[in-house]
Amino acid sequence: MTVRDRGIDWMTFSLYLALVAIGWAMIYTVGYKSGYPDNFLDFLETSAGKQLIWVGISMAGFFITWSLDAVFWRNFANIIYTASLVLLVLVLIFGKTIKGATSWFDFGGGVTFQPSEFAKFGTALALSSYLGNYSRGLKSLKHRLYAIAFFLAPLLLILLQPDTGSSLVFLGFFIVLYREGFPGWVFVAGFLLGAILVAGLVNPPLVVVTIIALAGLAVYFRNMPNRHRWWTLALIALCIAAFYGFKLGYGRYTSIGAGVALLGFFLYHWAGKQRDMAVLVFLSFIIGSSVAFFANFAFNNVFAPHQQERILVWLKPNEADPQGAAYNLNHSKMAIGSGGLVGKGYLKGNLTQGNFVPEQITDFIFCAIGEEQGFLGVMVVITLYILLLGRILIIGERQRSDFARLYAYGVASILFVHFFVNIGMTMGLVPTIGIPLPFLSKGGSSLLIFTVMIAVLLKMDARRI
Amino acid sequence: MNQQLQNRHFNILLLFGIAGLVLLFRAMQLQVLDDSFKIKADAVAMSKYTIYPARGLIYDRNGKLLTKNTPVYDLMVIYNQVSPKMDTARFCRLLGIDKEEFKKRLNKDFRRDIRYSKIKPFVFMSRIPPVVFTRFQESLYEFPGFFAQIRNIRSYPVSNAAHVLGYITEVDEEDIKQSKGLYSPGDYIGASGIEAVYERELRGTKGTRYVLKDNLGRDIGSFQEGRFDTLPQSGLDLVSSLDIGLQAYAEELMQNKKGAVVAIEPETGEILAFLSSPTYDPSLMVINKERGDNFRQLQKDSSKPLFNRAVMAQYPPGSIFKTAVGMAGMQMGVVQPGTGFTCPGYYVNSGSDIRKCRSHPYPARVSTALQWSCNSYFFRTFKMIVDKYGYTKPAAGLDTMVNYLHRFGLGRPLGIDFPGEKSGNIPDSKYYDRMYPKERGAWRSPTIISLGIGQGEVELTTVQMANLAAQIANRGYYYIPHFARFFKNGDEAIPPDEKFTTRINNGIDPAYVEEVAKGMELVVAAGTARSSRIPGIAMAGKTGTVQNPHGQDHSTFIAFAPADHPKIAIAVYVENAGGGGRYAAPIASLIIEKYLKGEIDESRKWREKQMRDANLLNPRPRRVTVRRPVVPTGETTAPDPIRN
Repeated sequence: MTVRDRGIDWMTFSLYLALVAIGWAMIYTVGYKSGYPDNFLDFLETSAGKQLIWVGISMAGFFITWSLDAVFWRNFANIIYTASLVLLVLVLIFGKTIKGATSWFDFGGGVTFQPSEFAKFGTALALSSYLGNYSRGLKSLKHRLYAIAFFLAPLLLILLQPDTGSSLVFLGFFIVLYREGFPGWVFVAGFLLGAILVAGLVNPPLVVVTIIALAGLAVYFRNMPNRHRWWTLALIALCIAAFYGFKLGYGRYTSIGAGVALLGFFLYHWAGKQRDMAVLVFLSFIIGSSVAFFANFAFNNVFAPHQQERILVWLKPNEADPQGAAYNLNHSKMAIGSGGLVGKGYLKGNLTQGNFVPEQITDFIFCAIGEEQGFLGVMVVITLYILLLGRILIIGERQRSDFARLYAYGVASILFVHFFVNIGMTMGLVPTIGIPLPFLSKGGSSLLIFTVMIAVLLKMDARRI
Repeated sequence: MNQQLQNRHFNILLLFGIAGLVLLFRAMQLQVLDDSFKIKADAVAMSKYTIYPARGLIYDRNGKLLTKNTPVYDLMVIYNQVSPKMDTARFCRLLGIDKEEFKKRLNKDFRRDIRYSKIKPFVFMSRIPPVVFTRFQESLYEFPGFFAQIRNIRSYPVSNAAHVLGYITEVDEEDIKQSKGLYSPGDYIGASGIEAVYERELRGTKGTRYVLKDNLGRDIGSFQEGRFDTLPQSGLDLVSSLDIGLQAYAEELMQNKKGAVVAIEPETGEILAFLSSPTYDPSLMVINKERGDNFRQLQKDSSKPLFNRAVMAQYPPGSIFKTAVGMAGMQMGVVQPGTGFTCPGYYVNSGSDIRKCRSHPYPARVSTALQWSCNSYFFRTFKMIVDKYGYTKPAAGLDTMVNYLHRFGLGRPLGIDFPGEKSGNIPDSKYYDRMYPKERGAWRSPTIISLGIGQGEVELTTVQMANLAAQIANRGYYYIPHFARFFKNGDEAIPPDEKFTTRINNGIDPAYVEEVAKGMELVVAAGTARSSRIPGIAMAGKTGTVQNPHGQDHSTFIAFAPADHPKIAIAVYVENAGGGGRYAAPIASLIIEKYLKGEIDESRKWREKQMRDANLLNPRPRRVTVRRPVVPTGETTAPDPIRN
């Protein structure tokens, strides 16, 4: 088959450029009140100036990448991956510690490099290469575990720095696995356990246990041989009773009641011919309850106070110290909230320009959009992202090779995690996890790596390897 | 690729879409649905500074400054912007306070006290002297959340006219509530005197500056290029009618006496001097640390220096009231200017009730009767007024006269530009109906005959007395006495309220007023006040000696001068001083002489000294200051219950 160059996917490229441009404009506005020097060389010393240099470097990076053959990346996938793992190990030894995390190589002269950014790219390539090999796939447990190991390795190395935010990003590769046929129930179970864990952190375990028990009962009721309506009514009545039980201070008895009811149904189904389901539901109950108790115990006895605070800020913002852990989030929310529908206007955001939000130009750049451009601006940026993500998926699906498709999903997954966690964090939806907003946040490594990732994808798409 | 995995492609797309919508919904919640973030944001990132205007200055009629502004510094704080890491020890050292004090000043009862909020500035420390402040200011930037505000307090270049000027004080919660946002905690407001009456004109308009702040509380620029900022506008300066030299002289004469003096320029109604004695030094009311103590001392003083006798004391007028009775009697036609009554030295009121008069020449006219202050004459005149419509209908006669008295500005507040003015008391028929109910026998003219000579239930304020003199001086009209000559706004002069330039006719035929004026001229020339004659100036006046059941009689005198073209009308009231000719008349004559000639004639220096040195306060020091070269004339000291 002849290799035909289809040219660049202009839509993706335009979306990418638009986001980079918006990002730079926002970094510029944050520093506006502090003043910019008239001299261009001095200007390059400011945050906006430095970012301008990095935009230039990234553009160069884009065209260099574009000039390389697409096959290069498949052939060198494992080498790049290995190199990134080596860098992650080296950074632990030689890296520079900033704010408690040993995440940077410092080359002097203000040039720093964050290997964890590079590792995202390497892992996306290597995982695609591994799964793209027709002989492997995700059919056996061994291959599934190998696949997971590919992103678990950098995840753990980054966790050692420790940079929790960057390491969690690697969990995004589960989306790739899902696309490639990883069993769906793992995701459901994982999601449920995660939910129980989160709920268990700050809620009394008895409440969580009761909710799980009621959920178990619901599963039984749904599978009753003859689905009489009164079962549903009975469940609703039980839920209401449980709610008031807790409200009136009979939490313990309510929990015991719910547990006993669940046990009764378990025996009922066990006696009937639904043993599998009975065991499943009851096991789930036991595991769920354990997780809830464990989470609560961990929260109260294992977590350091600052970690407790962070979780409180996320889940119960009103109970957190407003001048302490909740400070960032409060000011971030204020900045975004004060933008209103249409925003305060470009260069007029007094909160973002007044340095009220720490990490304003890096992790919290979204505040500037919220404050100055208002809800309409937020809508535009989120829409641009969703269009970009959707476009990458479409590009992925039209690839001929599994490698290219998997790589597209890898890029989309990483971008998505960054996008959702970052924006969600600025608005208090997601706990405060310090990861940048791709293309918008200030940061050279991040912008360059994301640019290269997009460039590689577009090159693959052009060549349809 | 099987169908199920194709679904997964769709599911992932769906996940992205839903995630996007969740973020959008959250953004909508923060930005559009809930405006509390906007409010909070403004509170943390914007400070509203108030720029205080200069309060209007007060001048006397000759352009002498009576009150001026002195800058002091208030240290303000916004609680939420105070850094927990600030160097409190250094801060306290600079301001000279201790940590306890610091805590007390900073931690207000934010929950309950409406005056304080954590996000709004409040006064941390007020009135820091410039010396301390200059030292502190250099380090001010180290303490985010604190900022300085320059304020003006009053100070007084002269130590007179305390009652007239009044004072300013910090607004209380009631003021703030009623002002609907005009005043904020810590603002100053005129609390008495001219400061209170002309608060609106003097206070000016506050300016506002919105400043954007950064996270450390530093200013980073104006909000929207200052579009919402306003400049403060200074208050209007007031050129008052007061002659501060005259005022000071009057205060000197009235020292160690209780009473009041009001001097008016008859042709304008402008108040030239206005004092209540004992008075105090206005500097005691300067807003500073000692003010509270000073104020309490003045309140405790048994001579009540804070009580403004010129408008708040309602005095029985005594014989000066005869001028009013005479005018009303002539206008009502019960007597003519030339009507004469024989005075046998007493007046038979009814049956055994015989009221004494003095021996004096025959009162052939109203003016002569005034000259000798003949009681019999005015008893008869008053009886004829009351009985004009029949002996059994005293109400009609009395009320007709009361009507005239009201037109003289008696019995109700004159409406001068001064707070706390009392109405005095002019009893009418209703008053006596209540006093003497029909069941217990109705009242008749003999019942209330004392009124005819200004005794009994009648009471006037000193301002009303002065105004009575002014309208006789004007031969039948007056202007409401007032302090405001005009306001100055830069070079522009703004006239006072129209009511002060509106001539008010007192309803008496000028010929009748002339007769009374003539009588008053005779009082001084050859009557009861002849010892108070001013060389070269024809003064007209009327003495009054008010019977006082609690002690010494009150001495009163109303006058105007020169008699034909009056420049000044005056009322002097000296409590517990004896006859009208003894203290009130000499004091009035000295003030008039001072005003008209600028100095006291050599022949009257002893009088001036005598008056100045007289101490009528209790306990009265036992010392005679000056031996008088001639026996004082004026009214006799006969121990009659009723004297003129």
